[in-house]
Amino acid sequence: MPVTSAENTFSAYRSSRFHFLERLKSGWLVYRENLLGRIGLVLLACFACMAAGSFIPPLIDPIYHPMSGVDPLISYSTGPSLRHWLGTDFIGRDIFSQLLTGARIAFIVGVSSAFMSIVVGTIVGMVAGYAGGTTDTILMRAADVVMVMPTLLVILILAALFGQLSIWIIVLLIALFRWPAVARVIRSQTLSLKRRPFVDAARVTGASCFRIIFRHIMPNVLPLALLYMTFRVTSAILIEAALAFLGFGDPGTVSWGMMLQWVWKTGHMFQAPYWLLPPGICISLITLSFYMVGRAMDEVLDPRLRKEKALE
Amino acid sequence: MGMRKYILRRMVGVIVVFFIILTALFILFRLAPGDPVSRMVDPSLTPEDAAYLIDQLGLNQPLGIQYIYYLKNVFTGFMGISFHYGQPVTEIILDRLPNTIYLFTTSVILSALLGIFMGKIAAWHRETKIDSVMTIVALFCHTLFLPWLALIMIWFFGYRVGWFPLSGMISPEVWVTPGTSSIIKFLDVLHHMALPLLTLMIIHYGSYLLIMRSSMLDTLNEDYIITARAKGLDEKSIRDHHAAPNAALPLVTSVGLSLAFSINGGALTETVFTWPGIGRELVFAVSSNDYPLAQACFLLIAGVVLMANLVVDVMYAYLDPRIRY
Repeated sequence: MPVTSAENTFSAYRSSRFHFLERLKSGWLVYRENLLGRIGLVLLACFACMAAGSFIPPLIDPIYHPMSGVDPLISYSTGPSLRHWLGTDFIGRDIFSQLLTGARIAFIVGVSSAFMSIVVGTIVGMVAGYAGGTTDTILMRAADVVMVMPTLLVILILAALFGQLSIWIIVLLIALFRWPAVARVIRSQTLSLKRRPFVDAARVTGASCFRIIFRHIMPNVLPLALLYMTFRVTSAILIEAALAFLGFGDPGTVSWGMMLQWVWKTGHMFQAPYWLLPPGICISLITLSFYMVGRAMDEVLDPRLRKEKALE
Repeated sequence: MGMRKYILRRMVGVIVVFFIILTALFILFRLAPGDPVSRMVDPSLTPEDAAYLIDQLGLNQPLGIQYIYYLKNVFTGFMGISFHYGQPVTEIILDRLPNTIYLFTTSVILSALLGIFMGKIAAWHRETKIDSVMTIVALFCHTLFLPWLALIMIWFFGYRVGWFPLSGMISPEVWVTPGTSSIIKFLDVLHHMALPLLTLMIIHYGSYLLIMRSSMLDTLNEDYIITARAKGLDEKSIRDHHAAPNAALPLVTSVGLSLAFSINGGALTETVFTWPGIGRELVFAVSSNDYPLAQACFLLIAGVVLMANLVVDVMYAYLDPRIRY
């Protein structure tokens, strides 16, 4: 029996809404084939363990507190020992414990600011793509303006004017300047989706624009938004680290960028490799693993790449 | 729509955006907590000097007039006196600008060339060991944390091995000795530039490689490649003369889009290597609350970014006529 167009429409609609779990499963089967993707996930799991474990050292002994835990016996930087696995910093604080806390801050900064920029980017992209016309032009021009601004330098200027920024303000600012790329991609996806039969079907049954955008288009662009979120996470972590490195981080928290700033500013970079190496390796590895996860997800979502693989 | 009309439209767009940035900065400077006057006029100046400067900058006028003064001053190049240097900020940034341009353009050009070359090779040997090693190394380099890489470079090449100077742009002793030929001076600058340049290249070549690789993979499926092969051309000439030039096109836009990213990286590199450029000056101005200098550096960088984007767009429209319509 030939498939009628109505049936086709219905199945497209159904698969977009109800078969989410099945799609997730088939996506995972493709993802699993990707070696880099697997390595990325394992590394992320390690960092998550570090973040979760960051609460433990201060409980064992207050001298291991990353910010206020000064070892009474040590008042300068020392190398690794049994007492301090990675050594101590210039006033005798434990580097290993700071490193663990840094993982927590990196996750908080990366994930929350990426999430916010994805929310803004997805909504702007869907609205611009669906509405078209003047709305589209205005939103996309705004995206272009924000896109060309070097985020780090903009935040620096704001730090100069408004004084020390707290970690949540930094997260918010990063999100505020990192949505345009997402909006662009989601917009082009929406443009192609809105010509699909299931959107027409929704429209003729009298669904409002709001409902079409959020109930019919959104489930279809979410995987793409999720993919972009992994890339936003890396850029958010890097920007926060750079800010902290330049001395504009939140003074109430320890981040990897701030640890590097301490090594650099206290002139320990030539004498203390045990202090210089770990934070840099962590920042680089966590961004690398988010990046690898993102690329593996890209392969799941982009059938063109899969076909290329199948051909060879 | 013709080329001229397209360029004109884009230019108007750039001017509008620059005005938006100017206005946003004006508002932010007056919105921030504290006294706006003390933000533009060094509090340690004598009352007469301060009064003169306030008058010049129009800070004693109502807000609307202040805005006019501000725009006039930006376009005539008078943007206040630096708190730290005690010189007009325009003089300072014009002095630093060439240094940034040397480092920045050299690094963008060299990393693009390296990325194009390696991306071409990787795509040509797709799905082999060469390809995966090149891609993984590129990914790894691309995600390194730039200031950390810079510190490692200084530690290893500057301190451990001692091949390159630790910081700065020139060795004063070379420049103050009378009779030093300009070739020696040039080599001295080059010697100082090597490490920052290498750092920027390691960070940036990866993204060019990845873009070139995927673009080259698309190109290799095109009909004209099959035609070239059917004509019996040798593989090397197909790769270098038929596929690579076409595949390199999307890189033009990617240079433009990654410009903001590269400028962040440039500022960090300049700061760590104490390269006397605009980015370092901005970071320094922000850390020392030298507001007029920070404002001028930021406006200059924003202006350069906008201009560069315009140039890239026009170049791309010229290379790919479909964009104009």
